Amino acid sequence: MSLLKKNKLILTFLFVLGMIGFAFYTLTMEPPTSIENRKVDFTGSADELLVKITDHTEEWQDKIVVVSGEVSSSDDKGIMLSRKIYCQLKQVTDLQKINPSNNISLKGRIIGYDDLLEELKLDQCIIQ
Amino acid sequence: MKKVALVLFLLISFSTFAQKYYTKTGNTQFKASVEAFEPVAATNNSTTAIINVTSGEIASLLFIKAFNFRVALMQEHFNENYMDSSTFPKATFKGLISNFNLSDISSTEKKYLLKGILTIRGVEKEIKTPAIFSQSEDKLLMKASFGVQPEDFNIKIPKIVSDKIAGTINISLAYEFIEKK
Repeated sequence: MSLLKKNKLILTFLFVLGMIGFAFYTLTMEPPTSIENRKVDFTGSADELLVKITDHTEEWQDKIVVVSGEVSSSDDKGIMLSRKIYCQLKQVTDLQKINPSNNISLKGRIIGYDDLLEELKLDQCIIQ
Repeated sequence: MKKVALVLFLLISFSTFAQKYYTKTGNTQFKASVEAFEPVAATNNSTTAIINVTSGEIASLLFIKAFNFRVALMQEHFNENYMDSSTFPKATFKGLISNFNLSDISSTEKKYLLKGILTIRGVEKEIKTPAIFSQSEDKLLMKASFGVQPEDFNIKIPKIVSDKIAGTINISLAYEFIEKK
């Protein structure tokens, strides 16, 4: 084998190794899927959702839902939907789009039933 | 007679109706990083906490699955292998702040002793830590940080990753309470 050919072979080998390493790194270091790209598990009104998940909220953890309802109140991080569901917004600037007592629909992730305040909690909510 | 009854009623209702402050979006962080390796840390921005400012009692709750990691794979391992978050979805804390008095708290920071029971994966552990309180406009701010060991909560760290995860996990809290009306 000539020297040139050998060098070429080594270079190709290193290049392939680098590519594999890079692919491995990007795959393992991938950030969590953003809510925009996640599949919706339930669509409906706030009351329908509450009826559906009562008694087995554990199974609904980390599920993505699209819920609609009346904005009963809001604070600086999120809104109360139909008095029973607290929706923490992904972007607080979304609060400007909301008028109290209006009906809205939002996509969010169920994180669990908060038994201290007795309400269902959603996070990463985006107004639809 | 009616007036006396009314005054009595008001007195009773005032004494039983304790003043409370709460937050739904408290920030709880943990760090278990070891230098030279990928940082092992996550933030939970959805911690609920209620504080009874009359008695100094405090209760808080967070959902394990609401811890956000930078890396998806790490978040998955945290939930499935270490925290069993489907079986134990919550971590709770119930405690008491010694000598707590709301009127002593101003914009300058004041240190109190926070004592209570932390429950993770259904295992209880007593925590004693200083907590710093201050007030900013209508908000009551609380900051605290303490360390826990994974073994305390029966969390087993496999040998191959044990040198990438710190032996003591540092938990820090930053809660902004508002008055509950």
